[in-house]
Amino acid sequence: MVKRLYDILLLFKEYFVVAFFLLTSVILLAVNDTSQIRVIRSYAVVAVGLLQDTFSFIPNYFDLRRENEVLRSMNLSLSDEVSRLREGKLENLRLRQLLELKERSEYRTISAGIVGKNLQLLRNTITLDVGERDGVRINMPIVNESGLVGKIIGASSHYAIGQILLNKDIRVSAKVQRSRVDGIIRWNGGRSLALQSVARTYDVQAGDVIITSEYSSLFPAGIRIGTVSATRQIPGSLFQSVEVSPAVDFTRLEEVFVMTYLADTSRTAAEKRIRP
Amino acid sequence: MRTVLIDTLLSLLFLVLQTTIIRFLAVQMIVPDLILLWIVYLAVRRGQIAATTGGFLLGLAFDLLSGPDSMLGLAALSKTAAGFIAGYFYNQNKITQTLGGYQFILITVIASLVHNLLYFVIFLQGSGITWSSALLQYGIPTTAYTAALGLLPMLVFARRHLT
Repeated sequence: MVKRLYDILLLFKEYFVVAFFLLTSVILLAVNDTSQIRVIRSYAVVAVGLLQDTFSFIPNYFDLRRENEVLRSMNLSLSDEVSRLREGKLENLRLRQLLELKERSEYRTISAGIVGKNLQLLRNTITLDVGERDGVRINMPIVNESGLVGKIIGASSHYAIGQILLNKDIRVSAKVQRSRVDGIIRWNGGRSLALQSVARTYDVQAGDVIITSEYSSLFPAGIRIGTVSATRQIPGSLFQSVEVSPAVDFTRLEEVFVMTYLADTSRTAAEKRIRP
Repeated sequence: MRTVLIDTLLSLLFLVLQTTIIRFLAVQMIVPDLILLWIVYLAVRRGQIAATTGGFLLGLAFDLLSGPDSMLGLAALSKTAAGFIAGYFYNQNKITQTLGGYQFILITVIASLVHNLLYFVIFLQGSGITWSSALLQYGIPTTAYTAALGLLPMLVFARRHLT
């Protein structure tokens, strides 16, 4: 009997091996988020960060020239915008004082270099060369000069992992800057984003700027997300389809800033209490 | 024993390459899958069990190194299946011939498509992104890029086979 079983095992050994590994993988998928696995992963962040940091000296020569030109032109338009914003800020300050409104707080930013990108098969995360030692915490927003990049999803003492906007799991409360229409930004799987939950009668036009909304518990309001590239009415739906081109060029991302902004815990607790 | 040690070291090397410098080869956010290419090589060279085991271990390591939001077990599952499928093409008497011929590219394409299909079907559950569009936009280009990179070892082995 044992001999016969052994013979069967030997005859179909490839199938037993594959079945064993597939079953193990499925079990691992089922216990994805246990505390033990989180600990192993925090060590993995350190290991990957160190490795990626070692290779981060390799520059992308092909893009440097183009990047230089883009930065020069951006510098020019930003200088112009800064002078106009200064005027606007002074006016805003004056009006706020008149209305006795609270001044919006400014957030410290932590400059970070991208030492690694995981672009394989839609995983789309970045590794930053700053960590908890520098004040980085999970859920802090990541931005660059163009706008919102994503958020921190994991951090070790020296490195942090950021989830970029082109990631299937990210959701951002957003609004159209011009018409103040609210929606949820999600990645649509391509090169662009989608502003969802926008009623078909609401005023959204191509060219409209999309910013983070004050309804977001993760991101401060007013960060540029992108520009509406197209809108389309969906037959039979109460909502319209709004396609958004991200403000950030994710293919050439090298330097970012982590905003030392964390969700107001009392606010989220209150929201959870009222809307469980 | 020596073969196992060399294969393990090379597996680690490909894992490091995939998690570090592969992004420098990115074309519009599409990167080749060096690990899969190595698994196909293992399948042709060492057989189905080696490729299946290698696929599982390398996939698991890749899952762990892919950041806190990745699904642990997903790359392990898809790479195990890819290794198993690739292992069907193992022929002890035609190893160099297969590695140096169009068969190697064909096996890479088949294994990669199976891998990507399995991966997207599970990874995109509940995301609103359809696996078919992801396969079209990312899966097939990744397969093509991986297969194109597979031409390098294929040419090396073709030359070896001729001499």
